Amino acid sequence: MHERILIAGSGGQGIISLGKLLARLAAETIPHVTFFPAYGAEVRGGTSNCQVILSAHEIAAPIAEIFDSMLIMNQQSAAHFMAALDKNGLAIVNQSLCKVHADSRHVLVPATEIADRLGSAKAANFVMLGAWLARKPLIPARAIETAMASHFPDAPAALIDINIQAFRAGLAG
Amino acid sequence: MKPPKNCYRRPTSLTDATMHYCAGCGHSIVHKLLAEVLDELEIRERTIGVAPVGCAVFAYFYLKCDISEAAHGRTPAVATGIKRALPDRIVFSYQGDGDLAAIGMTETIHTANRGEPITVIFINNTVYGMTGGQMAPTTLVGQQTATSPAGRNPATMGCPIRMCELLNTLDQPYYIERVALDSYAGVVATKKALLTAFQSQVAGKGYSFVEVLSPCPTYLRLSPQKALQFVGREIAAQFPVRIFRKEGVPVNA
Amino acid sequence: MKKPDNAFFSRVLMMGNEAAAEAAIRAGCQCYFGYPITPQNELTAYMAKHMPERGRVFIQAESELAAINMVFGASVAGVRAMTSSSSPGISLKQEGISYLAGAQLPAVIINVQRGGPGLGSIDPSQGDYFQATKGGGHGDYHIIVLAPASVQEMHDMTVEAFRLADHYRIPVMILADGRVGQMMEPIRLHEDPPPPVPPKPWALTGAKGRPPQYIRSLFVEEGALEKHNYELQDCYRQIAAAETKAEETETGDCEWLIAAWGTCARISKGVVRKARAQGIKVGLVRPITLWPFPHEHLARLAHQVKALLVVEMNCGQMLEDVRLAVNGAAPVHFSGYPGGRIPTETDVLNALTALAHSQGR
Repeated sequence: MHERILIAGSGGQGIISLGKLLARLAAETIPHVTFFPAYGAEVRGGTSNCQVILSAHEIAAPIAEIFDSMLIMNQQSAAHFMAALDKNGLAIVNQSLCKVHADSRHVLVPATEIADRLGSAKAANFVMLGAWLARKPLIPARAIETAMASHFPDAPAALIDINIQAFRAGLAG
Repeated sequence: MKPPKNCYRRPTSLTDATMHYCAGCGHSIVHKLLAEVLDELEIRERTIGVAPVGCAVFAYFYLKCDISEAAHGRTPAVATGIKRALPDRIVFSYQGDGDLAAIGMTETIHTANRGEPITVIFINNTVYGMTGGQMAPTTLVGQQTATSPAGRNPATMGCPIRMCELLNTLDQPYYIERVALDSYAGVVATKKALLTAFQSQVAGKGYSFVEVLSPCPTYLRLSPQKALQFVGREIAAQFPVRIFRKEGVPVNA
Repeated sequence: MKKPDNAFFSRVLMMGNEAAAEAAIRAGCQCYFGYPITPQNELTAYMAKHMPERGRVFIQAESELAAINMVFGASVAGVRAMTSSSSPGISLKQEGISYLAGAQLPAVIINVQRGGPGLGSIDPSQGDYFQATKGGGHGDYHIIVLAPASVQEMHDMTVEAFRLADHYRIPVMILADGRVGQMMEPIRLHEDPPPPVPPKPWALTGAKGRPPQYIRSLFVEEGALEKHNYELQDCYRQIAAAETKAEETETGDCEWLIAAWGTCARISKGVVRKARAQGIKVGLVRPITLWPFPHEHLARLAHQVKALLVVEMNCGQMLEDVRLAVNGAAPVHFSGYPGGRIPTETDVLNALTALAHSQGR
């Protein structure tokens, strides 16, 4: 198993915190995990992205060239990154904010709209995570829900609850 | 044989070494006064000094307490490191006008602004001694030095910096005083200021700063006696001799 | 996915910068002094939070100059002290590092390198190799330089740095880069006691029950500086004999050799796997200590291989040490990435295959 994951969107969409949560939980069951945030000029441009690599073997380059999975949350990221999707890869695309060409590798999810209906558009990242995990169950869904409160210690309970609902909606959808 | 109690003698905190300072230099006097203060407060064995880059770099040959060198101007940063590591020790820095007010200005201000509970002794003789008589940040307007041969010109060289006044704008310092080594009375006042500064530190109070207007006969190009007069008349005219901050409260002129 | 074994639960996901900070705390660092600069800010912020919690010293200094000189002061007082920064800030610290070296004071300095010269960029770089290994400040001295390639190594090497610093009375630098500093990996935290602190009779703690002593780097008496510098060189020889470290991967039968450090070494490990799958018998030598440099590893391997390829995120710095070590025994080629870009495995693999083809497989 060697899964190269890219999560990309705009600042404020919870890209980095989603990547960290994924990496943290993966580290409990998967031998080798790396998380690398883009902290350079791209961050200043208003976009945000991070790479998570999960592997059964030692990870050499923690920066991938092509990706097995992508969680694409805005149009700019779609334009910038999706050419690097592996030919057998899977891209979860936030249909609310992106238009992408038809491709059997793409799964379109209206994540921002779903999250908005649940009470906070900010929970769109968890819709995306749920949709990805439904197709690539690399970590137990239950672990995500359990870890949510400890991962966001300062968040009000209501928001945690919306995150969990958003995650379940993604998982089911 | 033990000398009688009130007998004038070499302070215990002063070594037997012959000082390398020029005839009439203020450093030797301040070293002796400092040694007396360490004796009187019985703090020699728990005092750590930081010597500057400048004429007083060899202070450790003369003072019988632990002393570290520091890079030029970083003296208060080194003193900060020592004091934070060993808060129950008495820590002082001893600096000239180049070390304190030119290259070390940033460290001087921020150490005072943090209120580090150390004692800073500032020897202001308006000229660089060790490097050969160059202009200092405290050099008087019109004063001739190796690097202001036609006299300090404010238009291109700025004016003398008043450190006590500058530090007195900060909230944290506990004690700030300027004294002048221009006379017997000045020597007594200097001793008293040093004593107050170290007493504050012993009592666990904040940052204390003593500026000593001091003669440098060699680079003022004056006899030792004339140099003392120059300190009292010319230098003190630019740098008012008084207490600026007492027990943390600014003192009006 | 199989159920996690217990060992996995003891791992913590940490960012390199924070892993180094936590290591310093666990290694008994009593004083931290820093000044903000990207990409190492998380280290300073971690210390700001966790040092005071333990009653230890944290100061955000007014500059890197002040920070390194506060380290000097704390080290003078005999306690473990550290600072961290990134390339432009490390340039400012060089004055203090020279004084630390001259005064034989232990200290730990972490450089999470970014691009240069000047402000350069905030992207990862390996452009400070010369500065770190050839002295950096003025005078005739060395510091120990360790090059981590993973978050675990950021952690472990920081603990080791405190041991080395105290043992040899020398500044030790962790020469990381923005990639190691910013990335997160699950690591095992240092659970053992801190490395023992050797007696420090030289420390200034007040002249109680002993004659006063001083710490200096100024030696004006006739012959004193020469004697002092010979003492320093003796110490450097001892360090080189006892502490030089390199990691070799697939060097047993290699016909080609990649030499790389830090991030580039890690990427090159992947390249070795890929190249071997293509039938290119390549090995990797990775200096773990950049100073002392593992000359002997390279000298030995140079006689075995057709050519070497040095891979760095700069224009060729360790390259010079490799050439000195190889001393003409084999051609030494270079693949460099000086623009803040991290090379991909494909970049390095292409450079290697081009070399293998041009030199005849």
